Amino acid sequence: MLSRVADSLYWMSRYIERAEHTSRVMAVKLESMIEQTPEDATASWSRVIEALTGELTLDATQDAFLTTRKLAFDRENGAALITSLSMARDNARQVREALSNEVWENLNRLYLRLAPVTMDSIWVHTPARLFREALEDMHALEGVTYSTLSHGEGWYFLELGKHIERAQLLGRLLDVHFRGPRDGSQNTPKYFDWLVLLKFCTAFEPYTKLYTASIRPQKIAEFLLFDPEFPHSIRFSVDRVTDALARVAPGAPPARRAAVERLAGRLKASVDFGQIDELMSGGIAGFLADITRQCEKIHETLYASFITYGAETVL
Amino acid sequence: MQHEAFANTEDFGGPDIAATPPRPSRPGQDAPYLNYALGKAYDEMFAPDGTPRAPYAALDSRISTLPLEELNRRQQACEQSFLHQGITFTVYSDNQATERIIPTDLLPRIVTAAEWDRIERGLTQRILALNLFLRDIYSDGRVLKDGVVPRAMIYGSKHYRREMRGLPVPHGAYVNICGSDLIRNEKGEFVVLEDNLRVPSGVSYMLANRDVARRAFPGVFRSMNVRPIEQYPLELLATLRSLAPFHDDVSIAILTPGVFNSAYFEHAFLARQMGVELVEGRDLLVNDNVVYTRTTSGLKRIDVIYRRIDDDFIDPLIFREDSSLGVPGLFNAYRAGNVMIANALGTGVADDKAVYAYVPRLIRYYLSEEPLIENVETFLCREEKSLHHVLANLDKLVVKAVGESGGYGMLVGPHASQAEREEFGQKIKSDPDNYIAQPTIQLSTAPTFVGNGVESRHVDLRPFILHGSETKIVPGALTRVALKRGSLVVNSSQGGGSKDTWVLGQ
Repeated sequence: MLSRVADSLYWMSRYIERAEHTSRVMAVKLESMIEQTPEDATASWSRVIEALTGELTLDATQDAFLTTRKLAFDRENGAALITSLSMARDNARQVREALSNEVWENLNRLYLRLAPVTMDSIWVHTPARLFREALEDMHALEGVTYSTLSHGEGWYFLELGKHIERAQLLGRLLDVHFRGPRDGSQNTPKYFDWLVLLKFCTAFEPYTKLYTASIRPQKIAEFLLFDPEFPHSIRFSVDRVTDALARVAPGAPPARRAAVERLAGRLKASVDFGQIDELMSGGIAGFLADITRQCEKIHETLYASFITYGAETVL
Repeated sequence: MQHEAFANTEDFGGPDIAATPPRPSRPGQDAPYLNYALGKAYDEMFAPDGTPRAPYAALDSRISTLPLEELNRRQQACEQSFLHQGITFTVYSDNQATERIIPTDLLPRIVTAAEWDRIERGLTQRILALNLFLRDIYSDGRVLKDGVVPRAMIYGSKHYRREMRGLPVPHGAYVNICGSDLIRNEKGEFVVLEDNLRVPSGVSYMLANRDVARRAFPGVFRSMNVRPIEQYPLELLATLRSLAPFHDDVSIAILTPGVFNSAYFEHAFLARQMGVELVEGRDLLVNDNVVYTRTTSGLKRIDVIYRRIDDDFIDPLIFREDSSLGVPGLFNAYRAGNVMIANALGTGVADDKAVYAYVPRLIRYYLSEEPLIENVETFLCREEKSLHHVLANLDKLVVKAVGESGGYGMLVGPHASQAEREEFGQKIKSDPDNYIAQPTIQLSTAPTFVGNGVESRHVDLRPFILHGSETKIVPGALTRVALKRGSLVVNSSQGGGSKDTWVLGQ
């Protein structure tokens, strides 16, 4: 597979994952907002803003209308839903020949549907509905990708993009919930916020099946970090990354393959043998930061080994 | 997820056979042809007396019985299909990038079996002669020694590539992919307006138009014995393969300038349809005169490149050094015979306006045959007799500078003022070699859906010719339409659209 094509597939997938995550968080946030006191809602918004943008650049005391616009439709905002979709589509367009018609048309249609949407038009009805519908379209896109694309090297680059992104997004979401507020206020997550966190990760029902409906932060952390079967746990994503790395670049020199696989193995060991009680006492933030760093390192090594390598090194 | 209107297996309309055959429509009198103008130009659908020509009878009986809303609905379904497939170009205004589809008209243009037979034989003859000509001027130059074509015209052309001299190309085939623009004159005869021998585009629109027109009129389509064109990518692949006979496992790539090129959709489309790599210049590198592409597993050798980049940009070491689209060292790999490039470099010398005028003579010279399809009558100002005729008839002629394109250095006599004509006349006299002249021609008109009815619009015809170890012309073409009423400009950059072309079987 052309290195440039692998690059575009990987980023297309990362951006789709980011768009899906943003849609789900926005839908859940807008739906749950009405059940919170203004103070709790503001605290919750500030967690959402930080989890989605990576920094506290937005003023969480702004009203929900402006915040939603910024996070969903502001093309100046690199983390906005529409920006992610636009980037996903641009990447897809560059590798049209590596995608099935169905994948391209689903993605293109989704973008064309959302591109002209204005805040005023969604705010008069139920704003969450738009994000729910976008989410449904993205699930359809995922299914179409699964069923119309050969599960060859290209597909595994999509898997890599999706799960490296997912692990990092989950890490950030957990981080803002488990390490107290950065602004020094005393507004720590309450029962309702933990419930919402599960819903941000589509994890509420899978969680209750395992731990019953008793909502305990430590169990939530354990579930979202270490559950091997739930698709939105960090461990699940790490497993997918490890599997996918074994399937890409089959003809690459062994030394290069080993460099990436070694890093993936180390990450896998971190989540396979992580102990939640140690984490809870020792500080979950450090652990999450370490996971994020390892994901970034895998990304860099993946690129250096298979995509941006110097031609002189192989001639 | 079901989007019934767009699923590929679905038709845009319902059952598509008219209940009772109505009497033939008359333009200007019956809906939807109320504003259909029959002018001086040959009309594809209606004879001069206003009766539909026989091949259009089924289409007429269908569209004249469909309500206007239904035609509009089908037209919109066509456009939606283009939009979702990404058959678009980007228009920039007010810092806003808007994507527009390449306009498509749902009414097919019909070419009969007899008409097609002549086109096919005529274009086959033409591509043979043009390839023999290219081989000749890049080797002995017999045609120049014999005085058939002036030496200065060839060696002075900016598209003549000295680097190609003495370089053999497989099967002597310089032009492997050709798109010739034909028009139909007032007498109803097809004539060649232009040969596109460099990097002709449009074949993906031919196929995309077929896809939507067939779905818009499934019943009419089935009833008419329309010849298939879907094999085009396969024929193209076979043509490219035939250039590299040296081993079985030929690795082929399409070289594209990238996603911002207006024909990018076509490049990706053809790569997908043929199952070959789509590469950009930055994906390729040359080592020891061998071309490689950078893959995740390492470097992979490339044997044949179907390039969609102009000569000038293909190799910054030999041609334009500011080109970032090309591949340094590519030309040397080509010289060494380690990679084949289609079309060969230097083919542009044979499609400029001056050489065009010589093509009928080239056909006689190389093939000892009379041309089966004529040129548009062309006066070469370099020839004494023609020069006098041109200067005496500037008010009736279109004069073009041979080195220019895109409407520059051009005089449209009937639309110019007396002063402009006199000024241009002086230019011609001072440098007659640089000018040719042609009579103004009315392109034929074809029925085109315009929203509130069906009107006549001027069209041309671009068939696509493949030439490797053998010559193949898929029975179809891109019919380009001047969508503005009365306009003769079919270029998509200037308000042109396109429509499907139905070539009928015997």
